[in-house]
This record gives sequence, C-alpha cells and structure tokens, in this order.
Amino acid sequence: MIDTIVIGAGLGGLSAATRLAQRGQSVTLLTFGMGGVQLGQGTVDVLGYVNDRLIDRPFDGLDRLPRDHPYSKFELRTVTQALDWLSDLLPNIFRPGPIRNRLVPTALGVMRPTYLIQESMHWPNPATAAVVGPRQIKDFYPELMAANLEKTTNAKATGYHIDLPARPGEVDSNPVTYAKALDNPDFLAGFINAIDAVLGNEDAICVPAILGLTTNVHEQMVTALGCPVIEVLMPPPSIPGMRVNNEMTAIAQSLGVEIIMGSKVTGFSASGSHLECVTLHQAGRNQSYCADNFVYAGGGFESGSLAMDSYGKVSETLFNLPLVGCDDENLITGDYWADQKLFAVGVDVDESMRPISPEGVIFDNLYAVGGLLAGAQRWTEKSGDGIALVSAYRAVNSILGLVSSGKEAGDG
Amino acid sequence: MKQLHTDVVVIGGGSTGIGVLRDCAMRGYRTILLDRADLGQGTSGRFHGLLHSGGRYVVSDPESARECASENAIITRIQPDAIECTGGLFVTAPGDNPAFGDRFATGAIEASMPCEEITIAAALKQEPRLNPGITRAFSVMDGTVDGWQLVWTAAQSAKEYGGQVLTYHKVSKVHHSNGAVTSVTATDLKTGEQVNIECSFILNCAGPWAGQITEMAGLPPVAVVPGRGIMVAMSHRLVNTVVNRCIYPEDGDIIVPVHTVCIIGTTDVKVDEPDHLGIPRNEVQQMLDAGEILIPGFRQARALHAWAGARPLIKDDRVAASDTRHMSRGMAVIDHSTRDDLKGLMTIGGGKLTTYRLMAQHIVDAMEEQLGQTHPCRTAEEICPGNIAGRNYLITHRLKDREDDRTQSPIICECELMNRAMFVDLLKQYPNASFDDLRRQLRVGMGPCQGGFCSSRIAGIAHEEGVVDADRATGLLKLFLEHRWIGLWTILHGDQVRQTALDNWILQGTLDLAHAPATNAVEPDPITTGRPRVNGNTQPTEASQLLGGPETIDASIGNPGEEG
Ligand SMILES: Cc1cc2nc3c(=O)[nH]c(=O)nc-3n(C[C@H](O)[C@H](O)[C@H](O)COP(=O)(O)OP(=O)(O)OC[C@H]3O[C@@H](n4cnc5c(N)ncnc54)[C@H](O)[C@@H]3O)c2cc1C
Ligand SMILES: Cc1cc2nc3c(=O)[nH]c(=O)nc-3n(C[C@H](O)[C@H](O)[C@H](O)COP(=O)(O)OP(=O)(O)OC[C@H]3O[C@@H](n4cnc5c(N)ncnc54)[C@H](O)[C@@H]3O)c2cc1C
Repeated sequence: MIDTIVIGAGLGGLSAATRLAQRGQSVTLLTFGMGGVQLGQGTVDVLGYVNDRLIDRPFDGLDRLPRDHPYSKFELRTVTQALDWLSDLLPNIFRPGPIRNRLVPTALGVMRPTYLIQESMHWPNPATAAVVGPRQIKDFYPELMAANLEKTTNAKATGYHIDLPARPGEVDSNPVTYAKALDNPDFLAGFINAIDAVLGNEDAICVPAILGLTTNVHEQMVTALGCPVIEVLMPPPSIPGMRVNNEMTAIAQSLGVEIIMGSKVTGFSASGSHLECVTLHQAGRNQSYCADNFVYAGGGFESGSLAMDSYGKVSETLFNLPLVGCDDENLITGDYWADQKLFAVGVDVDESMRPISPEGVIFDNLYAVGGLLAGAQRWTEKSGDGIALVSAYRAVNSILGLVSSGKEAGDG
Repeated sequence: MKQLHTDVVVIGGGSTGIGVLRDCAMRGYRTILLDRADLGQGTSGRFHGLLHSGGRYVVSDPESARECASENAIITRIQPDAIECTGGLFVTAPGDNPAFGDRFATGAIEASMPCEEITIAAALKQEPRLNPGITRAFSVMDGTVDGWQLVWTAAQSAKEYGGQVLTYHKVSKVHHSNGAVTSVTATDLKTGEQVNIECSFILNCAGPWAGQITEMAGLPPVAVVPGRGIMVAMSHRLVNTVVNRCIYPEDGDIIVPVHTVCIIGTTDVKVDEPDHLGIPRNEVQQMLDAGEILIPGFRQARALHAWAGARPLIKDDRVAASDTRHMSRGMAVIDHSTRDDLKGLMTIGGGKLTTYRLMAQHIVDAMEEQLGQTHPCRTAEEICPGNIAGRNYLITHRLKDREDDRTQSPIICECELMNRAMFVDLLKQYPNASFDDLRRQLRVGMGPCQGGFCSSRIAGIAHEEGVVDADRATGLLKLFLEHRWIGLWTILHGDQVRQTALDNWILQGTLDLAHAPATNAVEPDPITTGRPRVNGNTQPTEASQLLGGPETIDASIGNPGEEG
C-alpha cells in the first residue's frame, strides 16, 4: 500500500517525496522526465527581484509581493524551515551563509541574486579576476563575460581561453562531457596546468560550471591554483543542477522512495472529491497507482502541465484543475521585456496546498506544488525554486498532520 | 558631405532593386544601389517563399501565369542555391467546386504551364498529411525560393560587373534641375554621414515606399494603398510539396515548405502605411482554420513565427494610358518624364518576387529607350556566381555539410545547423551588421528554439572575434531577442509556449540577461522607428506594388490573396 504518490521529479516533487519518506511514509514518485533541477542554475532561488528592485534579504521581500502570489500563502516560518530542511539535507552541496541573497556571476557577466549557493559559486569580491574556459565549450565566452564583469563588479577582469578538448578531436563538447572528464584526476591535472599557463596573476579565477559531478574538482583546483575559483552559471545542461538532482534522487531512493521514470500520468479515478488512483501510461498500457494522498508537482508551462491551445485556452493537462489568471485578454503582449501574464496563470490552492475553485477544494487528498501554482513571474523574480520547495514542504505538513491550531510544526 | 558619381542610382534593395542593379551593371552602366536598411529586409524578406509555377494565376490572370511559368524556369537555372524544386499540387478540398479544376487545366494549357492531373491516391502518397477528402489534384512546377539568398547572390553577380551596394543608406532627397535629375542625397545610418551621389538616372525600386521617393523629388507622390498579408511558419515541413487549393485565389490557400519549416498564407487587408503592419490574432486564427482544411490536425502542429508584408496597390491617376507599354498586369514602370516632365527618373512597382528579373528587364529597357541606348539584356543567360547549374538547394544540404565539418567547427545554431565558421565568415564581411542582418543570410535563430540557445552564443562569438565591443554585443543580443519576439507573441500557443518558457528560464532565469549592461539603442533602426515597444502590435514591414493607372486597373489587380 502506498501512502503518498508524488507526480513529478523537479525540486517540488523530490522535496515532497524525500520528506514524506523521512517521516516514515511509503512513497512512490511517478515522473515522465527529470524535472527542472538539472536544467536550472544549481542554486536555490527564493526571491531576487520585486518590480525590478534587487532584494537583499529575501524573507523581508516576501511582504512586498501581491496577495495572490504563492509566497503569500505561506507563513514566514514555513519558508525558513523549508530552506533549513533543504540545506541540512544537502550539507555537501550548499554553502552555509548569512540570511541574505548572494550575488553570483552568470556566463554573461551579470551578478545575479540567489539564496542557497554551492561552495564553488562564492564570489570573493576580488580586485582582479581571470575568466577562463575551454575553447571547445560553446556556451561560455570568457572575453564577453570579463568585459561585462568589469561593469557589474569592482573587479578588473580578463578573459582567457584554453585549448583542451574533453575528448580527442571534439570541437563541440557539452558541460557533461567536461564534468565527467574532470572527475578523472589526469584530465584535471592537465586542465589545471592549462589554466595556470594562461593566467596573469589575478586574485580569482572564474571557470564555466563544469567542475565534476562525483569528485571535488573545485577543492582540488583551489588548492592547486592557490586562489579562489568560481564556477559560473551557464545554460543547460547544468552541472551544479545535476549535482543537486543526483544527490536528492539518491537520498530519496535510500529512504525507500520508489521512483518510476519515463512514463506519463495520463488520468485518474476519484469517488466524489476523493482521489483514489492515478493512471500511468506505461509500456503501451495503463496501470493504476492508488494511494491515500497525492502530491502533484508537474511543473509549469515548461514541463507541459500547463498548456495553451491554438484558440488561446489555457488548461492544466492532467486533472483539468481550475486555473486563475487566465481571464485577461492580454495574456501575452508584444514587449519582450515585460512580464507576460500568461506565465503567472496557474492553480489556486488553499493554505494546505490543495487546489481550489471558488466552490472549494477539488479533491480532499490532492496537493499541488511548485511551478503549477498561480501568481508568480518566476524567472524575473528568481523565485521558482523557493516556491517549489516551500509549497512541497507545506503540502507535506498538511499530509502528515503537522499543523496544530493554525501553527505548523517544523523539523527542528 | 561625401560626393560620389555614377551613371545610375537604384533606390531600394529588395528583389526588384537588386535585379535592376544587376541588369544595369551587366549592360555596362556604373550603378549604385541604396537601401535604408539591409538587403531583402523589406517585402522581399516578408513574403510567402513561393516560386510560382503560374498555377495560382491561370484562371484569374493568365498573363501573369505565363510570366511566372517562364521566369520560374529561368530563376531555377540561374540561382539554384536560392531555389528548392519541391513541385506543387493544386488540390480541390472538400466543399470546393470540382469544376474549377477544368478551368484550371484549360488555363494551364493556354499559359504553356506544365500541369498534370493526378489521382487522389498519388497525391496522398506524395503528401500523406493532406486531407483525404480532396476530390481532385493537379501536379505543377511550383518551387520554393529563399528571398534573401536570391537577393544576395544576385547582388554578388552585380558586384562582379562593378555594381555597388550601399546598405543602411537612407535616401532623403532627389535633386533635379532643368527638368532632369542631377543627384540623390542619402544618410549613412551607421555613421550619420551625408552622401551625395551625382547621376544621370534614378530608378525608384522602393516598393511600398516608392511614393515617398517621388515626394523627395518634389513630385506628387505615387499613390500607394498597401494591402497587408500575414504568414505563419510551422515548425516542421508538414508538406514537402507546395500545396495550393484549386480555387479562385483566396486567403490562406497555400502552404509552402521552405527550408526546415512550412508556411501558410496569406491574407489581404488594406492598411494606411507600410511601416506599421500588425499581425492580428483573428487573421492568425483564420490561417490556422485554413490550414485545417488542407491538413487535418494543423492546429495541433507547432506554430513557430509569423510576419506580415504589404502589397501596395498603386492607384496613380497621373499615369497616362499611353504610358503603359512596359506594363504587364500587376507590374508597371512609371516614366516621370511623361507623368511629371522630369527626365531621368522612373518608378517600378507591382509584380512578384518570382518575376523580379523580368521586372528589372522592363525598367532598364525603358531607361535605355529614354537614353537612346540599346544593350541586350543578359540576366536570363548568366548563372549567378557561386551557383552551379542544376544543383538546386536541398533541405539536406546543411546536414551533409555539418557531417563533413563537424570536427572542425562547433554547431552554434542546432536548429538550423549553422556552425561557428559560417557565422564568423559573414560577420567579418559585414562587421556593422546586426544579428538580424546576419540571420537573414544564415538562418541563425529561425528554428524551433527561436534563439533560446544560439543567441547568447553569437553575442559571445561576435565579441570574441573582436568585431564588436561588449556593450554592443550585449545590446545586439537584446535587440535580436526583441525582434524575434515580434514574430512570436501573436502566434504563441501549444508547444511554442513551452519552448518560450524554457528560453526564458535560460536567458532570464539562469543568465539574467535583463540586467546585463548594454547600450539601449545599438542600431539605427530605420524600419522600426515609431514601432511601439510596449504592446507593439506592429511589425516593420515593406510591401510590393501592384501598379496600374486608372485605365489599367482591372479585377485581377488587388484581389485578395493576389500575391500568394
Ligand atoms: C533551463 C531552466 C532554468 C531554470 N532556472 C531557474 C532559475 O534560475 N531559478 C529558479 O528559481 N528556477 C529555475 N528553474 C525552474 C526550477 O528548476 C523548477 O523547474 C520550477 O521552479 C518548478 O519546479 P517543479 O518541481 O514544480 O517542477 P519541474 O521542475 O518543472 O518538474 C516537473 C516534473 O513533473 C513531471 N511531469 C509533468 N507532468 C507529468 C505527468 N503528467 N506525468 C508524470 N510526470 C509529469 C516532469 O517530467 C518533471 O519531472 C529553471 C528551469 C529550467 C528548465
Ligand atoms: C504577403 C505577401 C506574400 C507574397 N508572396 C509571394 C510569393 O510567395 N512569391 C512571389 O513571387 N512573390 C510574393 N510576394 C510578392 C513579392 O514579395 C514582392 O513582389 C517583392 O518582394 C517586391 O520586391 P521589391 O524589391 O519591389 O520591394 P521591397 O522588397 O519592399 O524593397 C523595397 C526596398 O526599398 C527600401 N527603401 C524604402 N525607402 C527607402 C529610402 N528612403 N532609402 C533607401 N531605401 C529605401 C526598403 O528598405 C526596401 O528594402 C508576396 C507579397 C506579399 C505582400
């Protein structure tokens, strides 16, 4: 018998499944694909911008959000507890630090706010910085990054190339190929030598985020090069994201979560407002999975859980849940830089994270979390991870009954 | 002010202007072409991509059909790189009158246009996605044409004969004295410098802006009534053959496979001026409905991008009936010596991209007549440089090229298989180019991801190669994405929404492009001035002309969907 079925393996789904399993539940996670974690930046965003104003203390910034924003559904302590829970879960990945946003460099030389960062991303405020990358990586341009860094930081920055194919004869290698190569000590030694050979005497070295998946390449580089090394955020596939994804998946599995990947959940059965089973379309046939509770962490438009058809009708594609925010005539406008209202369309939930319509709760045992939730402009706010994590944490509180007289219990 | 001297100035670098430059240069005239923007960014880059067999006009306009049929063969031969010989079908959809097919078949014979009726089974075998309810099918010689490739290879040919091309030169004044033109003044938009070009002849090939040019000469403007048409590109080749409905020309009745996409079009709505064309949602819906008729399930396919062009109907009552000798239907030369008593200026309009070479021949013949010269036109004979006769473009060309060179140069745009070497070569030739200018020749950013992955790469490369500074590189990147969005947002639905969310996660989420330092206005943007940034329901656009004096206008001119 399954206690809870979790649908989706992004940060929302993995967090919910892991925490439920930690609390002794039997959990099955059904997911079609791998989720956004290993495509994203490998940090945990909480809230970076509100109305294009940089947020220094993300927890203070939550107050400034509109009432229909997902963060407005959480108590502040749920937010901080959820983040503590995640940093405790992944002590080898996230760097402890003050309760403030940190600025980390992206491949375009922008200093971008985020909350939990990996040790390798820490920006030490150097007076001079080298930006170095292999010529064979096509998503990292050291000179452009360096030139922009000079405008976004106080550092004097210089770009350098090294010529070091990850595999002989390959001119077009992706970060995964490099990360795997760098997990090999011989290749790493060559990489360090090549970097050492081109450097001036800068205070710090920025490199593309390719520093290994299984070994601590970063630490070894710092030791060998004798100065801070900074891993720079790049387009997917994301090595820092893969580290998080791999580690969380391994923990979930070690706690007994059964993960069934590669098949889509395509339907469900319910009696009245109680969800009984979901249907997994697996190997050409439909298989029923039944449980007491369901956490739906199917993500937003990028993951196919929300969709707009050719007539402009927006829907949630699995349970056909009611959506909010789609009545506006101008869901999409012609200004590329404006927030498009379409991407704030989503599911409305009650404080326990159960999808609701104006008439009330849709299913008494279905919880929606993460990218599905209405009301956020996630990529401009830099809020996607935080919403996914906290909503998953809150849904688990509801399932476990860790809510007493309106106050929630944490893990502490 | 910079001074130049030449025999002929050509205004406008669309297909018509380039054809005229090539023809003049080949006949031995020193010729300079000016365009306010890049070559082929006007109507010649905002059209449907159909190299007409003539089939579309066999019933409504047999003369045009005949011209298309013969020009189709010529262009296919002289510019094979720009043409894919896809073949075409005219099909009678369920509900369409099958009897039109008889008029069609008769018209084809009269226009000497190759055409054969084939069985429904054969048509469905050729195009399995076609509506199985079609009742008749005719096979014709339609092809598809890359307007930019056509323009650039013709320009290359012209250059070999000494023709000069000055892009981003906006004409502001046409000077004359004693009843004859003397010079043209233009502004180099990249440097701000004024250029004055003394000349003895000016050929106005400014398409829908032709009226503005005649005004610059102090003449009453040629009256242009632009008719906007929209087109929607789908992310796959749902058909590999041009598919037309076998009916009297109508909206949304043709699907053209071009490169990696296929394009449905088009509409025809009168608008006020050619610089601000919208892509109204109702017209997009109309196109999707029309697509369903030819290909059931069309709405579920992925729409990628939309654009608009305008066919200007020229209604000029100053053109005398006697002055129409160089006109065929839908294409015309206005001789301003008879219209306005001004020697040395002619305006051309109308026609189609398919017949651009013939149009050029007409106006250069007319010019020579005024000049009392006769040189033979040889544009139909000579193959454009870099092209090999008979080696027409194939959809698989780039795949083969990349198979050959994938260990030499990384693929920067995976959707369109553009590698770094291609980008760098062109960039070095045109260091002032915007990324859109380069895109028109390379197709970078035109596939399903619409720049989500490749755009930041080309910014990095342009800077790394030392061609632009960081400020400009970042600015060009932002501008490129703004421009991609113009053609995206009005058709955004289905899988392209999903793609857009992914692109935004990468560019805004991970990279935080919005906060990258860059100059705001990196480009003199002649085509987009006045385009609102917010809710910009407009599209920079240009249009072709359908030209006729009062005596020459007839029912076929300005018909809805005339241009295809
Ligand atoms: C390229 C990229 C960059 C990103 N950058 C950032 C960033 O900078 N900052 C930030 O905060 N966030 C970022 N994110 C988003 C973040 O990683 C999360 O994707 C997002 O916050 C939502 O998380 P989620 O857990 O709700 O869903 P997702 O991570 O979207 O995961 C959804 C999961 O559900 C599965 N699924 C969906 N429907 C079904 C079904 N019917 N049956 C079975 N499985 C299903 C999917 O396969 C997937 O595993 C980025 C995402 C991407 C893709
Ligand atoms: C919707 C639509 C679909 C079509 N589909 C097809 C098709 O499938 N097949 C086909 O054969 N034909 C088609 N056509 C017709 C074809 O596109 C046009 O006939 C052809 O492109 C016209 O080229 P042009 O050179 O005359 O005009 P343009 O390409 O518009 O060139 C005019 C040039 O003048 C320049 N200019 C303007 N003002 C100035 C100035 N002040 N100084 C300097 N330069 C200036 C502009 O920048 C522009 O580049 C279509 C047309 C439309 C509108």
